Amino acid sequence: MAFTSLPFLVLVAVAVIGYYWLPKWVQWGRVQWIWLLFVSYVFYGAGNGSATVWLLLVSGATWLAGICLGELERRHTVRYANAPVDERKAHRSILKRQKKRVCAGYLLAVFGLLYVMKYWNFTTHVLHADFLPRWDFLLPLGLSFFIFQSAGYVIDVYRDSVPPERNPLKVALFTSFFPQMIQGPISRFPSVAPSLYAVRRWNAQAAQSVQYGLQLALGGYLKKMVVADRAAVIVNTVFASPDRYGGAVLAGAVFFYCIQLYCDFSGGIDITRGVAQLFGIALSDNFCRPFFATSLTDYWRRWHITLGAWMRDYLFYPLSLSKPFARLGKWGRKHLPGKAGKILATSLATFIVYFVIGIWHGANFRYIAFGLWNGILITASLLLESTFLAVRRKLRISDDSVALRVFRIARTCLLVFIGRYLTRAPRLLVALSMLQRTVTDVQWHQLTDGTFLSLGLPLMDIGIVLLGMAVILGVEAFQERGGQVRDSLARQSAGIQWLAMVVPLTVLLLFGIMREGYIASEFIYKQF
Amino acid sequence: MQDMQKMKEQIIEIIQGIVPGIACETATSMIDDGLIDSLDIVALVGELMETFDVELGVTDLIPENFNSVDAIAAMITAKMA
Repeated sequence: MAFTSLPFLVLVAVAVIGYYWLPKWVQWGRVQWIWLLFVSYVFYGAGNGSATVWLLLVSGATWLAGICLGELERRHTVRYANAPVDERKAHRSILKRQKKRVCAGYLLAVFGLLYVMKYWNFTTHVLHADFLPRWDFLLPLGLSFFIFQSAGYVIDVYRDSVPPERNPLKVALFTSFFPQMIQGPISRFPSVAPSLYAVRRWNAQAAQSVQYGLQLALGGYLKKMVVADRAAVIVNTVFASPDRYGGAVLAGAVFFYCIQLYCDFSGGIDITRGVAQLFGIALSDNFCRPFFATSLTDYWRRWHITLGAWMRDYLFYPLSLSKPFARLGKWGRKHLPGKAGKILATSLATFIVYFVIGIWHGANFRYIAFGLWNGILITASLLLESTFLAVRRKLRISDDSVALRVFRIARTCLLVFIGRYLTRAPRLLVALSMLQRTVTDVQWHQLTDGTFLSLGLPLMDIGIVLLGMAVILGVEAFQERGGQVRDSLARQSAGIQWLAMVVPLTVLLLFGIMREGYIASEFIYKQF
Repeated sequence: MQDMQKMKEQIIEIIQGIVPGIACETATSMIDDGLIDSLDIVALVGELMETFDVELGVTDLIPENFNSVDAIAAMITAKMA
């Protein structure tokens, strides 16, 4: 069931009405969240009924792992509360080993499932292992998203940073809350659980939450249906047969792909968060104006934030703090001069993280190359940090200089732009060939001789994409300076607030839904 | 008391091994003042775990635990208990 489909809108409407009004008739306010669980499974089952089995299995395993970890911890606390320090310490290390086994077993099971479903065929292909069977599963919707989210919860319980949830249905809702099933965000249990299970009545606060949610979702639909799906026309045409075009058109297509990807993904997340807000549930934001990033590291802090945070907390730090990495770090500081020694272990951990992020996007060499591209640049920036500082001092450029900030933003955008060749091209070699031709075979004339306008998107629609992106960046510039769009709007008169809903809705209808021949495409991140 | 003093001396030695020249003995906000960065903390944690035979995890990586020698010593002491 796509976000852009009528059945989804009907489902959301029924879900919201049921959520706020049914408790008036039935005394079930305390289990209001069960309604959300029911709606979530209706949503998931409508897409692919059989995939619900995997969702149930992961939810069940997540609940069980949490309970086992909690029980081990509880028994230890009860048994050794008054024991001497040495005895308590000895048994704590036994407890730690037991908990590690439970956690590792769980992670092996869920990531094993992800591996088999998403990467098995790629492995047999890479290894030329024709004797091994191919397993062609229909990938369950949002598999990697709900597995990462569930794994985060179990690791948090393992670390004692959250108590285990005893109710299996509550864990099931955390795992399956329907707005986040298509493309995340990857929520954390402590941040989302209180609002998921809260009891709510229809009142002024709920009305404002619904209003804010509608505004956010409407903005998301505009990004997706008016901007992203238009930009996709050029992108799909050029990437279907890139050999036909010169470097200028190829670069133009990648430029439009950057717009498409951002509006598609962030638009989808806005819809997700907007729909969640209709129920008063605040999901984590996944974007923080990535095109205003001043470095690649900064970009990754602003793009797909919840995946980055997951990787940082559950992969980067555990790796960096592990004994082998500590030993490597020590060796580096002793044997390598200056910064190189200092960043050796951290850089290796960074490389592994970006490799995994690359692989997370899909089983393809171009995603591995994309991960390595980011890992290399970030490591290089760490190594060259002092050189850049020396150059800035020599040129007497202040850190607060607007020109420096603009330069950094432009440099980051260029690096991201180059990386996007890798993620969109059908194969790695095609991506590299396109990159090469962008520099060596520009063919500027294709921009003006009608070639660019023959890519399927009329000039007016190109204008709408560019204008739409300009509006988005304008709003983000306001937010970058601390502005709160919806709060500012809420302070305006009722007429202006009404216009703020009617105008975007009209734009959405005229330039999105009712556009001739328009069929909303799937969200790009749905496939991940 | 003597053990605590010795622990602090060892911590100072470790920090100065990672960030040469740092005056960490009296510093009270090493993170907030930028005297040590995230890379240094990762290295520092590795050394602390090895020297004092304690397990430090991601949940311990908060600025309050690393802003001063006293804070680091308090964290290690708590882990040893």
